[in-house]
Amino acid sequence: MSVDAKQYSPAQQDCASHLSLAPTLKTDALTLGYGVRKQRVKVIDGLTLGLPDGKVTAIVGPNGCGKSTLLAGLARLQLPESGSVLLEGKDIQHLKRRDVAQRIALLPQETHSPEGVTVHELVRFGRQPHQGALSQWSQQDQSVVTAAMVAADIESLSERELSSMSGGQRQRAWIAMALAQQTPLLLLDEPTSALDLGHQIEVFELIQRLAHVEDKTIVMVVHDLASACRYADHLVAMHAGRVIAEGPPAEVVTPALVRQLYGVECRLIPDPDTGTPLLIGVRRTHERLSGSAT
Amino acid sequence: MPETKLYRSPTFCSAVSTPTSPLSIASAPAGTLWWRWGAVSLLVYRAPLLAACGLLAALLMSSLASLTLGSAGLDLLDALKAIFGIGEFMHVFVVQELRLPRLLAGMGTGAAFALAGCLMQTLAGNRLATPGIIGIDNGATAFAVASVVGLGASIAPPAMALSGAVVAMALAFGLSGGIGTRGYRFLVAGIGVGALFGAGTQLMLARVSIDVANNAYPWTVGSLNARDANSVIWLGIAMLIGLPLALWLGRGLNTLRFTDRVATGLGLPVARMRLMILWLSVVLTAAAVAVAGPVGMVALVGPEIARYLSRHKGVPLLASALAGALVMVLADLAGRTLLSPLEVPVGIVMAVVGSPYLLWILLRSPR
Amino acid sequence: MQADEMIPRSHVSAMSSSSAMPSSSAVPMADSAPATRKVTGRLALWKVMPLACAIALLTCLASLLWGAGQVGPMQALKALMGQGSEEARFVVYELRAPRTLIGIVVGMMLACGGALMQVVARNPLAEPGLLGVSAGASFAVAVALLLGIEAAGMHVIVAQSGALLGCLFVMSTVRVRGARQDPVRLVLAGAALSSLLVALTSLVLLIDQRAADEIRFWVVGSLAGRSLSALYHCLPSLLLAVVLTLWLARPLAALVLGEQVASGLGHRPERVRQITILVVALLVGAATALAGPVAFVGLAVPYVARALCGADIRRTLWLCLPLGVTMLLTADVISRLVVPPSELPLGVLTTLLGAPVLIAVVRARRLPTL
Repeated sequence: MSVDAKQYSPAQQDCASHLSLAPTLKTDALTLGYGVRKQRVKVIDGLTLGLPDGKVTAIVGPNGCGKSTLLAGLARLQLPESGSVLLEGKDIQHLKRRDVAQRIALLPQETHSPEGVTVHELVRFGRQPHQGALSQWSQQDQSVVTAAMVAADIESLSERELSSMSGGQRQRAWIAMALAQQTPLLLLDEPTSALDLGHQIEVFELIQRLAHVEDKTIVMVVHDLASACRYADHLVAMHAGRVIAEGPPAEVVTPALVRQLYGVECRLIPDPDTGTPLLIGVRRTHERLSGSAT
Repeated sequence: MPETKLYRSPTFCSAVSTPTSPLSIASAPAGTLWWRWGAVSLLVYRAPLLAACGLLAALLMSSLASLTLGSAGLDLLDALKAIFGIGEFMHVFVVQELRLPRLLAGMGTGAAFALAGCLMQTLAGNRLATPGIIGIDNGATAFAVASVVGLGASIAPPAMALSGAVVAMALAFGLSGGIGTRGYRFLVAGIGVGALFGAGTQLMLARVSIDVANNAYPWTVGSLNARDANSVIWLGIAMLIGLPLALWLGRGLNTLRFTDRVATGLGLPVARMRLMILWLSVVLTAAAVAVAGPVGMVALVGPEIARYLSRHKGVPLLASALAGALVMVLADLAGRTLLSPLEVPVGIVMAVVGSPYLLWILLRSPR
Repeated sequence: MQADEMIPRSHVSAMSSSSAMPSSSAVPMADSAPATRKVTGRLALWKVMPLACAIALLTCLASLLWGAGQVGPMQALKALMGQGSEEARFVVYELRAPRTLIGIVVGMMLACGGALMQVVARNPLAEPGLLGVSAGASFAVAVALLLGIEAAGMHVIVAQSGALLGCLFVMSTVRVRGARQDPVRLVLAGAALSSLLVALTSLVLLIDQRAADEIRFWVVGSLAGRSLSALYHCLPSLLLAVVLTLWLARPLAALVLGEQVASGLGHRPERVRQITILVVALLVGAATALAGPVAFVGLAVPYVARALCGADIRRTLWLCLPLGVTMLLTADVISRLVVPPSELPLGVLTTLLGAPVLIAVVRARRLPTL
């Protein structure tokens, strides 16, 4: 399975062109919440954020900081209380569902695969935004589905049923479905949760490849800060519904940030292989220890 | 693994961005049939189509059996001739006036129940969530009985059944938290609603004279005896509109089997879709109840047979309707002939056959 | 090659599939927090009990005074005092008094049967009527009728055997599958069993050419026209049930804490469970033989009892006695008054009173566990 040794360091890939242009997907004073009137909880409060094109953006933060809610808002799954999500400069709420689905593909954290669905069928669902009631299949659909399965490295299992596959295989099948949507943007909610280390690496490398080779914009919610540091080009650190740091991992991840996010102490060293920040010596902060003792 | 090399070459990019990629000549994916006429291109799963064909054949056979068997036995040729008014007067009378209308009513109700069940199951993501279980049948029955015995027959049973079904649906879903509700909990809320309406039906039957109540009894358990022609016509209209509509919604239904987030991500208007499916299911159930009473088990058994025969490919709407019609015709035939001269209401036959099946699903399924 | 590589990771798929389960099914999981909260809010038994008994007595009086016939409450009151017309005295003493007595016994039996069943199934929704126990009893009676067993005393034993079979079946489903984790699933299984048995009962009675009215009695239940002799036939089994219940109370209270705890306290959970099921069958079978299948009393009454004075079965059972009488007789009195001179089936009224309780229980954010 070894991929050829070429590494895509963020610096090499950065063509600098994206920096000057306005990002395709951004939020403007976005406020998201749930619940009804009295018990209304604001999860995201007045968030303005741009997601750089053609890069892997990782959203990190402690549990309940609003990462997944933000992702749902970006994908138009959740109506904003105020503010807006702008896709190519237009408010996403004013776009047609199908137009959004042609630009943004989403991979939710919880996927439920109905009985009897094979990989090929699943990936075919990704073509739906491009199809109509009377144009249900075309040559292009077929080539895109095949290419998506090849890209996600799941083609050899195309006629297997999802329910009979391992978690890693299933996750790749879902990613293939998202790819078949042919969208410039790909949103992933904890794409590696419930995967073992080998599968995690597989999925992350696939994600990196998609951004750097296929020039897709990828936004993912990641639980594990270490993986985010290793694989993301752009890091968005969230705490209590606000962004507290944003930028390339090597620049924004500091012991102070880690303390603020997770309440733990650590040291950071550059990864000898990739130059990305590496967390070592993680332990609870002193305040936390004394706080819990009282 | 030579094919794994592909993803690093830029072929994916080009295949995706240029419509005329020279990858290969297009063909139908495995297990499907693909038709093209000019700009129109349809892709259909093969297994459900075959299942539908098989079920159609079985339905025709059982229809013939239903026309020939009975207290006055006819042979096949006589029965076929009698349909077109040829042959002995008695034969023509039995077939044209008694058996054929009953057969058509049975097919219509079975198809409507099963189609409604299939829609509701897909909507709720639960194979137990049929209109009968969540109380819609009982609601429709209660209102229809009210129109027959309670309030005088001034209002047409189909209209009353529809309003009853809508009320029950609103209660069942409203009490358990919205249209998208999943899980078992709302089923039990529905059982409670159904029990309430069932009690209401009994309450109305107790008010009227014993003769009327005795006449209405088979109808409350579900029977093809008490149908009136008007209701059958309304059922026919509902099916003529409902079946194509359901098939048109079929692609969306397929996507709805995933989670809401996935379906929304694929550009499906999930909320609108759910509402349409719910209404369609309720209208079909009400139309069927107005004809045959609460034979809710068809809505469980029909789609189950269809799903099994079509190997769980897609949402087998057409096959469900056909399977429902087949089951209903067979159950009515069994009720008429097995204990002859006694006639067992089709609802009781279906409950005897369907309930063990329901139990089996409950005790077996891992989810 | 690819496939070989994936095999060792199959456990991952099991993990992810379990996490992908619809979250609502996980909600009813046991959580002791509401129970502990309730402890503070509940009332002492000695405060509630006199009030409940007083209300029960009032409903008994109402049951004697009001009826579907000509004799109005004032005439009936006079008859009770030893005055009044011959007709009124006949109606009160010969018709309403036995009926009230039967109602009292049936109400107590159904309420206690429900409370016991809920403890043993550890499920607040386990109700003999909903779960098909009553339906099993009436099906057994219907079969006995078909076979020509008309002896009066036999009905009770036949009904109890039917109830026992229904009970055993439903309780075995609890053990078979995840019904233990998902209380709602048991109700669905019970509803399926119930609808099967009701259909079979109707079928048997149809074959036997019974009138629709009698079919309705064994499908819906009623107190009308039952004689005291039927009650006498129930007494031996009722006595047995009372003795067994007194013996069961302590071990059952321990069983609520969990099987292992109960064994640790020196009880034998399996034995306790079996005897409880027997008691439930005795109670519900006898009640069904007396009044037909009457649903929802065994759900609503223990629910109210628990809400008033906590989940301890020893308190619940005591409170179930007056509350059961109250609910059953209230339903019966209403059934006589709604459409005079005819009567409504009793089961219809108890359903109208009890089904909202079922909906309320299910709607509760967390199902209270027992």
